[in-house]
Amino acid sequence: MAEGKNLYETVIVTTAKLGEEGNTALVERFKALIAEHGTVQSVDDWGKRRFAYPIQKQTEGYYTLINFESNPEFTAELDRRYQITDGILRTIIVKRDPRHVAAIEKAKKAQKAEEKNIDVEAIAAEAVEAPAAESAQ
Amino acid sequence: MADRPEREVRRGRKGRRKVCSFCVDRAEFIDYKDVAKLRRFISERGKILPRRVTGTCAYHQRALTVAIKRARHLALLPYTSD
Repeated sequence: MAEGKNLYETVIVTTAKLGEEGNTALVERFKALIAEHGTVQSVDDWGKRRFAYPIQKQTEGYYTLINFESNPEFTAELDRRYQITDGILRTIIVKRDPRHVAAIEKAKKAQKAEEKNIDVEAIAAEAVEAPAAESAQ
Repeated sequence: MADRPEREVRRGRKGRRKVCSFCVDRAEFIDYKDVAKLRRFISERGKILPRRVTGTCAYHQRALTVAIKRARHLALLPYTSD
């Protein structure tokens, strides 16, 4: 890791009014901005979500998570850009502890593996159930 | 402290000592994006549940409040719900 660089994650919440394309266009703009000052590591699109409470009388918005690496000075600039961009309802920029990042990646992998296992088990259970149901008839 | 034998002060109310669920999971940090997990630590009205209810240890309760407040900011959790 380069000297003086930190890991960050940021979540952008945009209005549903923007629509799917408007949201992706906006996110792309910010991805480009981040890429100029650092490196984008991963982007996670959560899609449209209902808000827990209305924001500016709206009930839905698009959520996007971006993990990136940059100088600490850049976060202030990024936040400034968030504030002056129309269509953004909420944002957050959080520094990621490198010690935790490794743990998260591991947990994610484990979760994925688990999901696969469950799938296999579910399929196996179905396979067992299916002939049983047939014999019951 | 942890090894201290159960004192007889617990008269009247029976019940096991609650264990911090984050310590059990060996959670190093609490993710504000994990709405399903955070929901277990807020009341129906959206308030953060106290430690004496959930059994969370002081260290994780502090991390938990931060996580819940971040989630609220992003409208992932309610500030209040009625």
